[in-house]
Order: sequence, then structure tokens, then C-alpha cells
Amino acid sequence: MSKAATLLLAASLFAQDARQIVEEAQRRSRADSERYEGTLEVIDARGRKSLKRWVYRRLGSHGNSKAIIRFTEPAEVRGVALLILNHPERASDQWMWTPATQRERRIALQDRSTRFFGTDFSFEDLEERDVNQYDYRLLGEETIEGAACWKIESRPRKTRASQYTHSILWIRKENYTFARIENYVREELVRRANYREVHNVQGIWTPRLIEMQDLRRNSRTILRLEKLEYNVPMKESDFTLQALRREF
Amino acid sequence: MRAALALVFGLSLAAQDFSQRGFLELRTAVFPQTAPNDRGRAVASALLRYEATYRISSGWRVAGGLDARTDTHHQTERRWGLSWQDRERQRPAFAVRRASVAWERPGVTLELGKQFIRWGKADILNPTDRFAPRDFLAVVDNEFLAVTAARVSVGAHGDTVEMVWAPRLTPSRVPLLNQRWAALPQWSQVREEAPRWPGGGQFGARWNHVGSGWEASLTFYEGYNHLPSFEVRPVSAEFPVRIEARRFYPKLRMWGADAAVPLGPVTLKGETAWFGAPARQTDEYVLYVVQAERQAGEWVFVGGYAGEAVTRWRAVPGFAPDRGLTEAFLGRASYTIDANRSVAAEGAVRRNGDGLWLKLEYSQALGQHWRATAAFTLIRGAPTDFLGQYRRNSHATLTLRYSF
Repeated sequence: MSKAATLLLAASLFAQDARQIVEEAQRRSRADSERYEGTLEVIDARGRKSLKRWVYRRLGSHGNSKAIIRFTEPAEVRGVALLILNHPERASDQWMWTPATQRERRIALQDRSTRFFGTDFSFEDLEERDVNQYDYRLLGEETIEGAACWKIESRPRKTRASQYTHSILWIRKENYTFARIENYVREELVRRANYREVHNVQGIWTPRLIEMQDLRRNSRTILRLEKLEYNVPMKESDFTLQALRREF
Repeated sequence: MRAALALVFGLSLAAQDFSQRGFLELRTAVFPQTAPNDRGRAVASALLRYEATYRISSGWRVAGGLDARTDTHHQTERRWGLSWQDRERQRPAFAVRRASVAWERPGVTLELGKQFIRWGKADILNPTDRFAPRDFLAVVDNEFLAVTAARVSVGAHGDTVEMVWAPRLTPSRVPLLNQRWAALPQWSQVREEAPRWPGGGQFGARWNHVGSGWEASLTFYEGYNHLPSFEVRPVSAEFPVRIEARRFYPKLRMWGADAAVPLGPVTLKGETAWFGAPARQTDEYVLYVVQAERQAGEWVFVGGYAGEAVTRWRAVPGFAPDRGLTEAFLGRASYTIDANRSVAAEGAVRRNGDGLWLKLEYSQALGQHWRATAAFTLIRGAPTDFLGQYRRNSHATLTLRYSF
């Protein structure tokens, strides 16, 4: 076997390893449904804080799921909701419902890079990432906040439109949970998500705290997952445009 | 409130089944100029609104809302009593904003009662939005009113058919004759007679298709226009000319369509409707809106053009802000400064330059409950233009809202 062929095979094995790691992370986090109450602390560049809360409900899993995020606090945005229909073969469909105008508005693909309702999450960050929508490359191993991690590069496939040209993922070896995701636009690091406070919830290791940093704005949002439950009975009909309009 | 509801209905209100919200809003509007029929320069108002929804069981849900308001300019009635109809000339002091019960099954929703029904996809002007009367007491600062109706929605695989039947018309509330937004000619003195209310109901149907990255709808409406026309009768020819006017709500048949298509850099939205007059009392015409929309960073831009083509002219006087905003370039831009502050601008410029409406707004949250909003509205134009007739009504507003 020539040296070039050996290198190609090694690269191929590395690529397969990276995909297998992400697939295993996805498999271990699989649940038929999920519900939590999120508390979001938004901290701007000057250190000023604002508090928001939402209720998150998801039916289905990884690439074929439906989710609704509905704000409960502050009072002035209570009822504002986002419906996300994820698809395995393409980017999700999203609609935002604003009770004040009694209208839902489709979030166009080109608008997904904007911030979601004053938080540091973009609309795209709220989608579920299916393993098959990306190509992976194992970059090595690193320790993040004391946890040994695999460091993996992911690039969206052509079928998936994304604001990010690539992302770097750190996955904990111990339990296959994400420790950090860094999102790049070309060579510029634009958003960093740190995943902390990992707990075993109904057999699924889950980070209960996500800190999303917007490095362009120098602001960050800390999302705490409270009252988290998996495999809660939910109905398909609760994840439609009609359902989006039900409250207020 | 939750405890009170539990006492009244004997229910145990689970947190995830019950949600409520409301606000107390204090608002002051200052007008630099007086109007011939209104010497007042300032209007202060207060509004207390409470809304709640409760899921009784997996298939049933109730929703309700109440408004209590007052003001310094007699735009609000000075009498007790709870209004359901929204047919009062002034705003009622106490009103049921919404009261409906919904029955839900997979793919089917039936809602009965006073509810909000919004159709169309465009912003600023929606020709197909026929079940959406508004309070136009201050024409450019208007608010939607709910309608009493039965609505059934059936949806599957991206297609939804919605059918609405309203047993009686909820009209838009029009400007008061003794106040500046009536903009009456100085040579006239108008006395309003009791309106002629239509006796029949209204029916509407809408089919909406959600495709992969695009949406489109077809709409039909048969009923009455919620915007009034006027029977006008001169009583004397002496100056000022005395006129008796009576509001009536002409029969209306509408066929409409709307679509939203993302096209790379912008989302293109279009909405059009043909309005027929089955009773041959009023004009027949087509309204259309074409607009582009884009979010970029903290900016949101919406810009477009609204047009009108009259297919049959009958020249009956009426109050028609929808037609008044046509033959115009429309736009809105907003910028989110940070989590608490935002600025916005919206406006319309008539194609012939005869009318201009421009609103600039700054809004700031103060803690978790309070929000202050300062706005300035500039109105200019010719007296014969829909916007231009309000050229003396440029104003500044300061609004303080406590949300709970």
C-alpha cells in the first residue's frame, strides 16, 4: 500500500470516527419528546442584565422533530411563540407568533442568522441538528473545563443552508454530551455555546445550563433548563400553526 | 386572579393549563396644531387590559379578555355597563375584548365566540383581512377589534381550510364628528343620524398552503364592509352648509389571494383582493400590495407599494383607510439597540406626493414590567388626500405601560 493510500485510509477512518462519535451522542440523547422551562439571563456588553423565561416542548427526535418555544416572561412578551418544524433533508421551517398583532410570520431562511427575541441565540441555533446534515472531521482531543473531550469539526452539507460556514464541537468522552460548540462565519468565530451542569435525567445525560456568547456583540445569554422531562405524552396537533395561535 | 377563577369555576387550575397576562397603559398625545372642529391640544387616556386562556381538557380551551378605559377627551363613554357588541360610537368604558371557547381535535379546530381573526400576509395594509375591524378613533393609531363568529379550521399536510361565519357585523369604529380625526370641511356642519345596521351575517373561507419555503392562500368573503359608507343629505344651503349623514355598511363580496416567497436576499410578499358590490351601492375595485422584507442583524426592513384599480365607480362617500393607503409607497424599519431598547420608523407616501404619514418611535423597557415609548407622527399633504386631510394632526405621544 502506498503512503498516499495509507494517508487516505487514515483520513477516512478519522472521518468515520468523528461521525460515529456524533451519531453516538445523538443516539444517547434520543427521546420521543422533551419539555422544560427555560430561564434566560441576557447580559449585554455593558453587563446589564435582563431576564426572560420560556417553555420548550419538542415532539420527535433529531431531524424529524417539531418544537414550540413560548415566552412566559417578561409579561410584555408573554405568549410570543416560535414553531419549528425540523426536516431530515433540509433546513427547518419556522414561524413566529406575536399575540399583539394576532399574526404568525414565517422566518425566512435568510433571516435565521438574526437574534431570537433579544437573546444571543439566533433562530438557527434553536433548530435541532441532525447528524446527517453535516460532514465531520476529528481534529483531536482537548480538555474543556476539566472534562476530556473529542474535538470535531462539522461543516453543513449543501442540502442545508446555514449562516455558519463551519463549527467546532467538543464532546465529552465520559457521557457523549456536548461541552462546547464554536460557530464560525468563514474564519471569524461568531458564537460560542458552553454546555455545563450535566445531569442524568431519566437516563439521558443532559447539560442543564447553556451559555451562548455572541462574540460580535460581546453579549451572552445563560439558559437554565428547569423542570426538564423526557418522553412526556404530547400530540402532533399541538405542533401546528393553529396550535401556535391558541394562547392569547 | 387564578385563585378567584378557581373559586368561581370550582376548578383546580394547573399552571401549564392556565395562562394570563395584562397591562395598565397610560398615554398622552400632544398636538401642536388645533383643528377647526377640535380646539384640544392634548389627550390623555388610560387602559387596563386583562386576558386569560385556560385548557379545560385535552380538547377544550376557553379564552377571555376584558378592557377598562377612560380618557380626557370623551373618546370613551362615561357610563357603566359591559359592552360585547363594539357598535358604540365612542369606546366603551368596559368591554369584553375576547370571549371564546375552542374545541380541538387532531387536524380540526372549532372556535365559537368573540375572537380575533387575521387573514393575509402583508404588513401595514391587508386587503384580504375582512374579519378584522379596527378602532379608528385616532385614524393612524388604530387597534383591532374582535368579531363574534364561529370558525372552523381543518388542516393536513401543509394545507389548511378555514371557514368563518359571523352572525352580525362588528363595524370599525370611525372618528368622532366633534374631534380632529373627522377632518370635516369648514363650510359644513354635519349631524349624524342613527346608523343603518345590516341584518345578515357574513361568511368567509380561506385555503392556505404551506410549501417548502413558501406559502400561498386563496380567500373568499361574502358579507358587509366593516368600514362605513355614508348617505348624505344637505339640509340647508346657507353657510355653514348643514348636512345629515347616516352610516351604512354596504354589501361586499371579495375574492383574494396572498403569497410569501423567500427569494435569497429578501422575502417577497404579495396580497390582492377584488371587492365587488352585490347591492350596486358602492365602488368595485382591486387592492394590491407588493412588499419585500428582510432581517439583517438587529434591523428589520419592510418596504413596498400598495395600489388600487377601480373597476366600477359609484362615488359614494365613505370612510376607507384601506383605500386611503393605496397608490402609496409603504415602509417600516426597526432597529433593536439592545435587550431593552429599540427604535422604529414606519410611514406611507402617496405616489403623487399629496399625502405623507411618518411615525418615529423609541421604546425602552424599565425593569421587568415597565416600558416607556415616545413617538412622533408627522402628517402632511393636500386637503383632498386621505392622509393630507389630517395634516393638522401631527402629534407626539408618550406611553407608559405596566405589564403583568
